[in-house]
Amino acid sequence: MNIYIAAKYPFLRDAKEFVRREGVSTEEILHDPLYQRARDMGMQRVNDAIERGIVGNYVTADETDALMTIFSYPVARMIVASIGSDFLRGRYALAEAKRAYSSLTGEDDEFVLGVAKEFGINATDGLKIYFTDYLKNAPTWSDKWKLVNMPLKGGWIGLKKVELARLVQESLREKIYNELIDLRPPPNIKKVFAEDVNRIKNMMQRKEMERKVEIGKASISKFPPCMRQLLAAAQSGVNIPHVGRFALVSFLHSAGMDTEEILRLFSKSPDYNEERSRYQIEHITGKISGTEYKAPGCSSIKTWGLCPVEKMDDICRKVSHPLTYYRYKWRGKK
Amino acid sequence: MNDFLRKAFQSYYLESRICFPERFSRREFAFIFWGGKQMVRHVSFKRRDELLAVLRRRVPMHAYYSSAYYEKPDAPTMMEKKWMGADLIFDLDADHLPGAEKMSYEEMLFEVKKELQKLLSFLMDDFGFEEKNMGVYFSGGRGYHCHVRHKEVLHLGSQERREIVDYITGRGLDAKDIFRERVVETKRYGERLVPVKRLEMPQPDEPGWRGRISRAIIETVREVKESSNGIEKLMSYGISRNRAEKIIEGLSEERMKRIEEGMLDQSPEIRRFFLKSAVDEVAVSLSTGKPDEPVTADVKRLIRLPGSLHGKTGLRVQEVKIDEINEFDPLEHAVVFGEDAVKINLTKPFKIKMKGESFNLDPGEVEVPEYLAVFLVGRKIAEVK
Ligand code: SF4
Repeated sequence: MNIYIAAKYPFLRDAKEFVRREGVSTEEILHDPLYQRARDMGMQRVNDAIERGIVGNYVTADETDALMTIFSYPVARMIVASIGSDFLRGRYALAEAKRAYSSLTGEDDEFVLGVAKEFGINATDGLKIYFTDYLKNAPTWSDKWKLVNMPLKGGWIGLKKVELARLVQESLREKIYNELIDLRPPPNIKKVFAEDVNRIKNMMQRKEMERKVEIGKASISKFPPCMRQLLAAAQSGVNIPHVGRFALVSFLHSAGMDTEEILRLFSKSPDYNEERSRYQIEHITGKISGTEYKAPGCSSIKTWGLCPVEKMDDICRKVSHPLTYYRYKWRGKK
Repeated sequence: MNDFLRKAFQSYYLESRICFPERFSRREFAFIFWGGKQMVRHVSFKRRDELLAVLRRRVPMHAYYSSAYYEKPDAPTMMEKKWMGADLIFDLDADHLPGAEKMSYEEMLFEVKKELQKLLSFLMDDFGFEEKNMGVYFSGGRGYHCHVRHKEVLHLGSQERREIVDYITGRGLDAKDIFRERVVETKRYGERLVPVKRLEMPQPDEPGWRGRISRAIIETVREVKESSNGIEKLMSYGISRNRAEKIIEGLSEERMKRIEEGMLDQSPEIRRFFLKSAVDEVAVSLSTGKPDEPVTADVKRLIRLPGSLHGKTGLRVQEVKIDEINEFDPLEHAVVFGEDAVKINLTKPFKIKMKGESFNLDPGEVEVPEYLAVFLVGRKIAEVK
């Protein structure tokens, strides 16, 4: 692999080989003036992820440039890991994956096939993929990608190049995210990037705080039992049925929360996937589908088995809609 | 009180061999015994004769095993059981079919078999499973179970299984994308080039749902055109008589040919009609468990043990070879009991054809063959004197 390609895809095995061959220590990367550019670009990667949701397409003028770009990737990962915010981990993983997708769409079939293979997605020369591999990697939460809309025959699905690249994106996002959880950053990284790390940390915390003010403990305690239960499940990553997610999101939306706020509530979940959650939320709140779904009432919630009967209280017995419950509690307080 | 059935079942289990699932010792077994209300769960067996011993000595009314296999199948909770994988199970039950309330038992069995054929066509043509990775079983009740044991599906999670269910039931099908606009030519108006677009339907040989929809549309169009009651047929889909007449008139030979070539240039309303009827025709009605929770997506469900008897019918959970499905008649091939006459007291009139013999019974005391006696007592419409 040539170094310019490695700079475009620094997460590939061959790119990591460049880092290894250079034989530099983490210490040097973090302190040696020679790697100042790698450190700057590493920070740039993180900022891009936060601000734009996608890592930039950095031009590499010469081989040194390319090498610095390759090094900037491990630097960025160390920064993200040291901040320790799950929201940031998810966002950064997605931003890197999106960049990879965008670059891959410009490559030829063979290259995309090779990258896919490295991520355990086995496609044949004709870009055909076995359906179980497809199911494991495709964003089937989006209608367009549901298996039912794919040309499935004899167990195989013929994909277009961009589609295969999209599967790589999904798989890469998950891989980076998981690696970030396990990554133990060297302690002095915080010193090297002190200012920036603090800035981002504060930013993340502020967002947390804002959330707490907006729907802090006070107002969650005004939620009806069914919604409290669903929210707790969503935040702890318990798999909630489709209708449950629907009931919760439409409730939160009617209670006045916007997509970003709902998103942050869900970001606590261990299998949080920003892109998927955003899609689902915007689907329900009408941003994508054009129809804003009404929050379901108690009778629907009961038929779905989502009303915790043993936790029903006196207000529950008076109302027939969780939103009425919520408003009733607000009024009660005044 | 269920002594008659229990004895009959015992005599069956004493003689018959049942089918042992693959990975036998990793499965959880569960039973409901006569008179017992609760299901006895979390049972596992190291050896096959231990299971036989339970069937023969304790004689369950219903016997199940888990589609999943576990490290510790007899542990009380899922966590401790440690899930290792699970077969993919499809459950077809007549209960789920539209209009099932009005059908007789035999009609239900007939209708549900059609669903089974559709399911198998999906599993074999689209998913590429072969007979050797699958098993089809009459459930002993009102339906069929299909087990897929292909090694690639054993480790699929519940989300992925749900996608397979959605595929088979057509849930989430993007109807907007079925008819695609295509530029067929460009016309020149002075300086301007104007593209001429046409809505095209999928070709019959396309893979996946698109091809299926296409074939179903062509078939429906044919049927409507050729059948003597095409107008009634259209009206049954909610189209007015006036419109229906127009549609039929419009289906000239030339139009038909165009449709077969993929050009469904009809009014949007008619297009919607053909699409909807095609989707209904192609999709399989699968049983669902909890609301919005198709049982197939469940990675740990219990299914009837092949070879065991269904406690409410006395019929055997019977394996059906795929190429023998057409000929398979549950009321003949899943009947295990003999002809000995048994006196029963029937509580309501009953008609059925079993083992090739037609019965038309009035309430009261009657003498019937043992197999029918078991069936009627199991269904709680008769008692043994
Ligand atoms: S009664 Fe209504 S508001 Fe109360 S928990 Fe049940 S569904 Fe929720």
